[in-house]
Amino acid sequence: MSPNLYACAHAEEFPAQALLRMRTDLTSQPVAILDGRPPLETVCSLNRLARLKGAALGMTRLEAESIPGLHLLARSLETEAAARAVFLECAAHFSPRIESVNHETTCACVLDITGTERLFGPPELLAQRLRDALASSSLRASVAVSTNFHAACMKAATTRGITVIPLGHEAVALSRLSLAALNLPTDHAETFAIWGIRTLAELAALPESDLVARLGPQARDWRNLARGVLPHTFQPIEAGFSLQEFCAFETPVEQIDSLLFIGARMIDCLATRAATHALSLASLAVQMQLEGGHAYQRTIRPALATIDRKFLLKLLQLEIAAHPPQSAVLSLTLSAQAGQSSKVQLGLFAPQTPEPSRLDVTIARLRAIAGEDRVGSPVLEDSHRPGSFRMESFAIANSSSTYKPVESSSALPRMALRRIRPPAPVRVQLNALKPAAFRDREQSFKVSAAYGPWRTSGCWWSTEAWNREEWDVLAESSNGASVACLLVHNCTRNRWQLEAFYD
Amino acid sequence: MPSASALRIQIENALERRFPSALTPQPRTIRETSSTGIPEVDQLLDGGLPVGAISEITGPVSSGRTSLALAFLAQRTSEDRVCAWIDASDSFDSESAAANGVALKQLLWVRCKNPLPGPQSSARPNFSRLDFPRPDLSRPDFSCLAQALRATDLLLQAGGFAALVLDLGSTAPEHAAKVPLATWFRFRQAADRTRCSLLVLAQEPLAQSSAAVVLECAPLTAQSANQTVLSGCSYQVRTGRQSSPTKTLSIAGRRKPPSVEWSAASASQREASA
Repeated sequence: MSPNLYACAHAEEFPAQALLRMRTDLTSQPVAILDGRPPLETVCSLNRLARLKGAALGMTRLEAESIPGLHLLARSLETEAAARAVFLECAAHFSPRIESVNHETTCACVLDITGTERLFGPPELLAQRLRDALASSSLRASVAVSTNFHAACMKAATTRGITVIPLGHEAVALSRLSLAALNLPTDHAETFAIWGIRTLAELAALPESDLVARLGPQARDWRNLARGVLPHTFQPIEAGFSLQEFCAFETPVEQIDSLLFIGARMIDCLATRAATHALSLASLAVQMQLEGGHAYQRTIRPALATIDRKFLLKLLQLEIAAHPPQSAVLSLTLSAQAGQSSKVQLGLFAPQTPEPSRLDVTIARLRAIAGEDRVGSPVLEDSHRPGSFRMESFAIANSSSTYKPVESSSALPRMALRRIRPPAPVRVQLNALKPAAFRDREQSFKVSAAYGPWRTSGCWWSTEAWNREEWDVLAESSNGASVACLLVHNCTRNRWQLEAFYD
Repeated sequence: MPSASALRIQIENALERRFPSALTPQPRTIRETSSTGIPEVDQLLDGGLPVGAISEITGPVSSGRTSLALAFLAQRTSEDRVCAWIDASDSFDSESAAANGVALKQLLWVRCKNPLPGPQSSARPNFSRLDFPRPDLSRPDFSCLAQALRATDLLLQAGGFAALVLDLGSTAPEHAAKVPLATWFRFRQAADRTRCSLLVLAQEPLAQSSAAVVLECAPLTAQSANQTVLSGCSYQVRTGRQSSPTKTLSIAGRRKPPSVEWSAASASQREASA
């Protein structure tokens, strides 16, 4: 039976990496991350360029600000959580058994890659592919492969790039590492320093019984760690798949371009992650934390699940333009719901219909022009109230479920109404309880024939009650034009209104 | 003695620089048509309204324009096609459409809003801090007419719609006439490319040479049952313009465009017949 094989992926300076993952404009800039309560903030993470500029961990804000050209960002735990999820998701492509070994400012996980040679090739190749997968998600990590769990962890944490420790060579591979790799308690670390023990090789060379007699039973584990032989019970975690990206801004954002710049990057990440699972984005929830404690939430639902970045970004832009936030934006969260990749079966003789994704953008543009609730399909309400309807979002129905009108083509057409919204108030002159003439704001009409009244009423139990008389009226306007119109007498308010024209 | 065809070729060669194919009749394009659902109007138009072209239905109020357009949409939606109604004056009546047989699920209704600041405008949130692009409702170019034209442009460019109705029937003719001819020309090109029938309801012809068909509607008489119920109306339709008529008009026909009469029933008659 072949021994277990573990690969450890270790990303250092994770707070900086997580923030810079969304801020592609700062990737080539020196950046330091501040943590703590103001004004006692200290640098908790920084990138390589910041190190070259002279920045160091533990610096106060004042010291960091004195370094010219250094960008200071506040630590965001939400951003780190989202980045950790991406990190684990990348690792899950290579093994279903993953154990997370995160520390304060690092993100690390160990993969049980036993028996994966036939899938991914030798351990060197797997390590390279794992590193590339993380790099495609803008995460830089070192990878170490070993048959010992702890040896892989310590080697990945202390060595950059890829390291593969052959079976039986763990002690040699760890020999040059500092004792700091063991994370010893401070008092014991001082004891070892007094003894002159500085590397793991020196610790491994000490006699076990004497070491235990002086430092206690835990010293046996340290020695085994230094030799790379400490056993470990693997505790795999469930690598959840949640499509969510978060970005907190260091200053409130008031420009849509800045927001969309980050949004584009987020959509790109979400689409890539969904595509790796052979999925698409069925809906996109936009959440913003606004200045003043307000929250903003909108949901974009394309007609078909898609991973088209430009299309999703356009929908996001139109949605935000149609519903702008009330105040400046402090943070942006994009959560996506995964859906199956859309497949449309076209028929040779099927009628031409609008392309769903293009129609989505067109309708969003139309809503931006006309208004949110003024674009869609009308649906008649189940009510006797004249002219009642509601608007539903327009969607192309399948031909099998399409409503077929009852009327045949040979039926006589019906006189259509042209509604006046809102109805125009008119002054009506009655003759024998029938309209004889009426006048609106512009002109007067002489009634030649009036048919009615048609009385309707309803909803007497609510505030939306109506009680009215309708008259079909043929009239001649003052300029000689003949019109057929619908006059309504509101019996509740005793008012006359011109509600529609027959046309 | 040279034959007639040889003479024709000789003359055409001589005039080729100034008048290419001077004596050769141009091949006639037979445009696809779609039935309006009203046999009399189909007969007048030799089959129906053209597909991939602009058709104008003009006339005063109560001249049957809307009923004619709805009958056409009913035909198109019954073929599982999708249509759109761009409503410049928010006067579309969904009950009338359903009664005429229009499949409302396949109809996209764009209700252009009144740009005049109403009482609700004061309740709008204050966006002064944000720099998001949003329409300035006080600008005249965002009037209902401009919105309707923009929406028509977008829908024509999107493609896939079998018919678009641009309803300018309640727009004042003096305002509608200000739409530049270049706009109609662009609409014609887009309609041709996307095989979309663009119907323009207006009080007067607007698209000029960009329109393939102009129908002039007029009210005729109203019918009543027992002098108590408005049972229907009859209308007159005549072709004001037809860019490619399949029949050759006689001299008399040119003086007086052909016209037909058709009738529409009121709701009460339909209910009685049902």
